[in-house]
Amino acid sequence: MSGTGKKKKIIAALVSAGLLLGITTVAHAKTYLPTGRDTKLPPDKVTYDIVKLDAYQLLYETNTMRYYYREDRDIIAVEDKRNGYVWKTGADVAFSADLTAAVKAAQTPEEKAAVAEPKEASMNATYVGIANSLVTVEYYESDTIKNISSASKDGVSSKLVMLNDNPATRRLDVDFSAIDLQMKMYITFLEDSIRYEIPYEEIAGTGKSRMASVLLTPFLGASGGEAAYWNPETGEYGENEKKYMTPGYVLVPDGCGGLIRFADNAVSFTEYIGDVYGPDLSTETYYTTSRNDAVPLKNPVMPVFGIAHGDSQAAFVAYAESGAEYMEIIVRPDENKKVKYTWGYPRFEYNLSYFQVYNKQGAGYFSMMAEPQHVDVSMTYTFLEGDGSDGKSFAADYTGMAAAYRAHLMEQGVLTPLNKQGDIPIRLDFIMADAKNGLLGNEQMVVTTAQDVDDILNTLVQDGIQNINAGLIGWQKNGETLTRPDKVKYSSKIGSSGDFKELLSKYEKQKIDISYSREMATINREMTGYYNTAAKHVNTWYVEVDESMILPQNVPVANFSRATPKKVAAWTKNLVEKLKKTSTSITLDGISNILTGTYDRDGVDFSITEAIALYQDTLAGVKNDLKVNLVNPNMYLWKYTDRFLQMPVGTSQYVFETDTVPFLQLVLHGTMEMYAPYSNFSFYAQSDILKMIDYNMSPSFILSKEPSYYLADTVSSDLYSTEFAQYETLIGEIYNSVNSVLSKVSGYAWTDRTVLEDGVILNTYQNGQDVKYVVINYTDHTVSWQGNEVGGLSAEVISGEGVR
Amino acid sequence: MKKRRTRTAWVLLLASLFLGFCETSTVLASQATSYTYTLDDNDDFVRTQDAYLPERTITDLGLKNPQDLFIDRENMLYIADSGNRRIIKYNIHEGRVEMELAHAGFTTPRGLFVTEAGDLYVADAGAKTVFRFSKEFELKEAFEKPDTPLFSDTNFEPNKIAVDKNGNMYIIGEGVYSGVIQLSHTGDFLGYFTVNKSKVNFSEALQRLIFSREQLENMLDVVPTTFSNVFLDHQGIIYTTTMGDFRNAVKKHNTSGGNMFKETVFSISENIADIYVDMQGIIYSCSTTGLVDVHSPSGELIFSFGSNQSNMDVAGLYSSLPSVAVDMDGNVWTADGDKGYLISFRPTDYALMVYEAMALYEQGLYEESMDKWNEVLRLNQMSVLAHDGVGKAYFHAGRYEEAMEHFKVAGNRSYYSEAFWEVRNAKIQKVLPVVFILVVVLFIMMKVVSFLDRRKRRIKNAKEAVSAQIAKLPVLRDLQFAKKICKSPSNMYYEIRRHRAGSVVGATAIYAIFFVIYMLYQTKKGFIYQYVAVEDMDIGGIVVGFFVLLLLFILCNWLVTSITDGDGTLAQVYMIPAYGSLPLLVALFLITVCSYGMTYNESFLLTLMLLVGAAWSIILIFLGFLTVHDYSGRETVKSIILTVIFMMIAAVMVVIVMIMCEDLYEFLYTVGQEVLRNVWNR
Repeated sequence: MSGTGKKKKIIAALVSAGLLLGITTVAHAKTYLPTGRDTKLPPDKVTYDIVKLDAYQLLYETNTMRYYYREDRDIIAVEDKRNGYVWKTGADVAFSADLTAAVKAAQTPEEKAAVAEPKEASMNATYVGIANSLVTVEYYESDTIKNISSASKDGVSSKLVMLNDNPATRRLDVDFSAIDLQMKMYITFLEDSIRYEIPYEEIAGTGKSRMASVLLTPFLGASGGEAAYWNPETGEYGENEKKYMTPGYVLVPDGCGGLIRFADNAVSFTEYIGDVYGPDLSTETYYTTSRNDAVPLKNPVMPVFGIAHGDSQAAFVAYAESGAEYMEIIVRPDENKKVKYTWGYPRFEYNLSYFQVYNKQGAGYFSMMAEPQHVDVSMTYTFLEGDGSDGKSFAADYTGMAAAYRAHLMEQGVLTPLNKQGDIPIRLDFIMADAKNGLLGNEQMVVTTAQDVDDILNTLVQDGIQNINAGLIGWQKNGETLTRPDKVKYSSKIGSSGDFKELLSKYEKQKIDISYSREMATINREMTGYYNTAAKHVNTWYVEVDESMILPQNVPVANFSRATPKKVAAWTKNLVEKLKKTSTSITLDGISNILTGTYDRDGVDFSITEAIALYQDTLAGVKNDLKVNLVNPNMYLWKYTDRFLQMPVGTSQYVFETDTVPFLQLVLHGTMEMYAPYSNFSFYAQSDILKMIDYNMSPSFILSKEPSYYLADTVSSDLYSTEFAQYETLIGEIYNSVNSVLSKVSGYAWTDRTVLEDGVILNTYQNGQDVKYVVINYTDHTVSWQGNEVGGLSAEVISGEGVR
Repeated sequence: MKKRRTRTAWVLLLASLFLGFCETSTVLASQATSYTYTLDDNDDFVRTQDAYLPERTITDLGLKNPQDLFIDRENMLYIADSGNRRIIKYNIHEGRVEMELAHAGFTTPRGLFVTEAGDLYVADAGAKTVFRFSKEFELKEAFEKPDTPLFSDTNFEPNKIAVDKNGNMYIIGEGVYSGVIQLSHTGDFLGYFTVNKSKVNFSEALQRLIFSREQLENMLDVVPTTFSNVFLDHQGIIYTTTMGDFRNAVKKHNTSGGNMFKETVFSISENIADIYVDMQGIIYSCSTTGLVDVHSPSGELIFSFGSNQSNMDVAGLYSSLPSVAVDMDGNVWTADGDKGYLISFRPTDYALMVYEAMALYEQGLYEESMDKWNEVLRLNQMSVLAHDGVGKAYFHAGRYEEAMEHFKVAGNRSYYSEAFWEVRNAKIQKVLPVVFILVVVLFIMMKVVSFLDRRKRRIKNAKEAVSAQIAKLPVLRDLQFAKKICKSPSNMYYEIRRHRAGSVVGATAIYAIFFVIYMLYQTKKGFIYQYVAVEDMDIGGIVVGFFVLLLLFILCNWLVTSITDGDGTLAQVYMIPAYGSLPLLVALFLITVCSYGMTYNESFLLTLMLLVGAAWSIILIFLGFLTVHDYSGRETVKSIILTVIFMMIAAVMVVIVMIMCEDLYEFLYTVGQEVLRNVWNR
């Protein structure tokens, strides 16, 4: 953050902090009861005392932090000098058996009281070990997964050593002798961050092969708990009592971002598992996967999570710099497995159990990989404090976490600012053709021709919408489903090569960018043979996805596989090579968000780590020639993304996910164009339009000339409504609604997002000294903020001067 | 339908292991957690635009095994918190518990009902009692087992309850197969309101036929499927749900207990546990497996959503779903029975439009409903329901051609036929005079021409010359011969027997033509009569079936006649059906053509054509065999019967050989795979 930037931020934060109280509701119709799809009011303030760190040894001190270590419990304490808040990497609790022994050994009541630390309820010795640990290993023992942590009671020894005489660099050598596993964890203390690194090559011992995963500091930031306290009067431990539950939340990158607030739950929930970049189908338990009536969970597109304590008081944001593709973000809400804490942590998967099939009927047995996945863990935890108004640090809430992560990505060169002003863009995708069963083989169903695209765009331009970019889906002969991704074969019924060339060049002159669009990673047997093309599961069978439950019964193909990373990359290069003469941009799906490794008899043939590098290399090449539009891309491709399409706007909606926040949007705002999901499909309501404004996204539509019921018997049968004639008015209405607000803050930095009252959001934008506010009112009643009225279900831009 | 059901178990098994994989379908960012399904024009379940989105999740009530939900007119939600032996009254608008009722007499309160007057009835199976409480939760009455002798042998363990405005109670009792127990407001037994008939399936019927008395006695008694729930709507109409069948699991009863639904009512699951009906008469039912169905007041399935996933706590995915209720704003409330939390859904604009359009149509406001249905279509152009609705609205407005378009998409053939009748009628009236004049003019012209030609006979001669030329052309010659067979089969088949007429090439040509016409008949009839669309057909099966049956028949007949002293050669046996098939060929062709111009009213004509064509051909072929093989009528019948038996034996053998080949292939494939993996590492 530059000096002037800091000042600006101070002004904005001070102003907005001072102004928050200024909200009044003008006319109440009905109480707005927020749901998990909303962002709720900030949590309560956390109350905390100065923590005694007598049992700890100071390791290192920076301008902002003091780092301590407690040898016997394997805990690092991080004291934030700015506000005195202390974070501990573990729960810092004693083993029950140790306490009993200590109390027994103590002679006098005073001695007993001195040694009788609170006795944890609901946690056995294994859990106490995990709760304290810096690192916990899950390992396979016959068919079950067991835990052993660096702070386990038995079978483990750990030692923290200094490296290169530098107190900021340490190494924790852990010997999990119980399973013959030795691990070296490098710890680096930074100005306001800690970094942990576990190099794969330095893990040793026979236990390495059955190591399922590594969990880092699982109880850092945990809240809740129950314990029995020593009663000096009775000389015994009393009944279990609830500990002080720190108010706050865990931020998870579920979809656009979700908050799991700390709560004393009445229900025993299952855990949240965010499989970063989505699951690798080649390492799932089974090689076949069936889609069913449940909508798939939203996969985290970035390896980041955070925990906030209190209302803008203390927080940390943690992100993986290496090993992200093997990372899961896990949050266990209070009462999960009867543990009374809410805790969140990263889990890195090494070995896994899978089903080895040996015949076509699917008979087989469970097995483990001969060699674990090569995971080089690197996690950085950055500590935040305050509301950001001091300009020295990012706010200790999800906006600050986003800002901190964004700053990190900018520093890494992943994100670069995009200076755009004026009208917001709109994305229009055209579904041109797909195939259905016909009398003689498959029949091509054409719903939009190249000429139709021309007509539709022409109409919209005449309607006054200029800033358009378009994608063509199903432009190849036979449409999207049955044509191999890299094949450039035109069908005269859709449009000849010349037609497309003319179309693209005509609109290029009008600065309307039309791109060929293609999904690169999903294949089927009608499209291509699988030999040397489809990714193979660890069990060496081709990966399969059965979609027959979610597709009509009569579609030409309902079984899909994934292309190997090499094919995906080669096809992408090939396609771009063929198209770059006629087009200035390209729209890619699949390569953007699907990661599948491939295996052979000897183990991994091409890992997802290699796939990431290959895709990055491929897209770097593509970006040299064309503008790159990617559908919901994962973080490792953001560097090459010009337009982020189909941006998630919600979470997977776990019942314990209390809030939805635009974390992803806050990270990416101003670095690439961001587009909402198609407004054709349950994203058309007024509240959805407000969400586009709130989350800073441009609208997008998928269109066709003919009614979409012609696609009813194709794989595109989920495009329930696309006919342009039905949408012409709506496109204008939605675009104008969103543009009328967002164009006024175009080119501004989005610096803050606050909840004024349930259903009323205040976004703060800044450009130099100029501050603008956008109030988004999701409620059905008018609210007044700082003397400015905002009608029910609407949004208003309020300039800095308009705020009294 | 079946496809979906049979897959369910398998899918559930696997789904628990891997749900969170990447999407491949185009629509990425659904805000729903489960897909909404509806019925397509073939009554198969297909995905549709989201109808409900998860709204609120209430997890802090400490519920344990909640079993029933009810929402009163003041939008208060009552929860039968069975595991905690209490009833909770929850204020939906303010999001708080209003009152709690933990009566000492409760054991397992599983069913509840709140009357318009505010009386709360609680059915408690464990306590074998129905309790009645006042609005303030004061106990008014407790109804125990009726003491009438009629009821003496029956269990009284009330599970679910509905109460009408006179205080009569309709009770679903645990283990009661006789029907819905009806008690008066004083608790007297009035009888069974409605009963389910016991069903005997095919194997049971067969067992009854062949089993000895002892064996039959050892069989379990076939009992009627039991009712799972009962509901009474604001108009006093009783609804029930039945477990064990996905057809007619939801019933709407008239006052005498009969089912008012005339058509089959489909449910997505056969485990329907609860039912609720809103003020508009829309019926909501849920299955224990986590699916919520929405039916129209007349029993059409509109939407189905929800899913069964016990290993993750995502709103709208259930470990078990015992109850459903709908509040005054149209939000659907559900309880997860195992997890003990509540989830509400709000209808999307799309669902609301559908309901509104249906209501307008029911009220006879066709114009208004048409506008609404068109709005629905804007959001979902694939909605069969909307196309049907728009079609009907156009139909009632007399806009038949537009109606036809929509009925076609909706697959509503009977209405399409009616609309087409109107369109055709109008056209006929328009063109009839012209056609009549044309016919008369043509007739006169023909007469004049033949009169002028009577002397020189130039035209007649030319015609005969052309006929003679045709007789020389290979395929046309054979067709002409087939035509002659139609007229005098015995004579003409005798010609074949004597090798004086007919050829294998000719017969093959006729088979080829027959095949083309047969395929046209199968796939290209007019919409009204084309019951299965090409994309839904197993074209390969039809083609293979056609040729396999034909070849099998010829081969078997030749084999049979060879051993029963038939005179015909294989070539002749091959020719007989070909030359005899002309009437059927013509009939199929005519049916295909005529199907474009006929409505359902004229379907008898098409049936007649088919019957005549088929009967004629069968007779011809029969006579062909009789003549060529030099059989008596009796011998011919015998040989044909034997042929059929041979065909069946041959078919069974072919199937066995195919299965063996498949196994062999499977074996070789597995070996090959192993070799590939081990030797070349592929």
